[in-house]
Amino acid sequence: MPQLNPAPWFLILVFSWLIFLALMPPKILTHQFPHEPSTLTAHKPKANSWTWAWQ
Amino acid sequence: MTMNLFNQFLSPTFLGLPLIAIALMAPCLLYPSPAPWWQSNRWTTLQNWFIGSFIKQILSPINTKGHSWALLLATLMVFLITLNTLGLLPYTFTPTTQLSLNMAFAVPLWLATVIMGFRNSPTHALGHLLPEGTPTPLVPILIIIESISLLIRPLALGVRLTANLTAGHLLIQLVSSAAFSLLLSQTTAASLAVGLLLLLTILEVAVAMIQAYVFVLLLSLYLQENV
Repeated sequence: MPQLNPAPWFLILVFSWLIFLALMPPKILTHQFPHEPSTLTAHKPKANSWTWAWQ
Repeated sequence: MTMNLFNQFLSPTFLGLPLIAIALMAPCLLYPSPAPWWQSNRWTTLQNWFIGSFIKQILSPINTKGHSWALLLATLMVFLITLNTLGLLPYTFTPTTQLSLNMAFAVPLWLATVIMGFRNSPTHALGHLLPEGTPTPLVPILIIIESISLLIRPLALGVRLTANLTAGHLLIQLVSSAAFSLLLSQTTAASLAVGLLLLLTILEVAVAMIQAYVFVLLLSLYLQENV
């Protein structure tokens, strides 16, 4: 089975993690999730704000 | 003859350059970043909806400490589902059929959840190795069994994705080569094979999406246990 050939294993690991860590997250992070605009009500909106957590 | 069927999974190179790098870049190139204005176009809205609803669903059973994994899980999901579904197009290469790639993702991420669990609450993490209510004579053997099942998780995670996608692609190649070779001599059999191929392709689209989801879901479950 060609998948078990160990030669490109390290290269594939490096490439895939490089792309997964460097190129994909900025594209996902630019997506924001603002509140839906509410009508003229005085009470506090039910939803709490959420953003990409960084603890 | 059988070895030829597996040649489709050879990591492709062209003049010594690995083409898997281009295949891996495909998800980055296909998703344009959202523009800073308020109203986005349809494609961006669709992406936004998908990422939002996926994150809501996958983070709901995890407590607030685990929410810092949101970006990682979302990125992983988008990455895997794109790689899987793009591989179903003719003449494309699916990087997720490579065991190396799947293990490269499964082992570090699983290990991260385990290390997090052992660092933050070691007693609680060790407690997972013994289910509640176990009869005393069974305790030693059950701890061994649970430890083995813990250690086998990354292997299962990686091999599950690899095997599902490899098997699917292999089946498609087998059935399509059968249909092609029977086309002139036994046309009825060939048309049956083409019908089977159509159903198989629909199945493979479903499998591609489900397997990506299962990978990320299981990781979130391992996270949930340890956080």
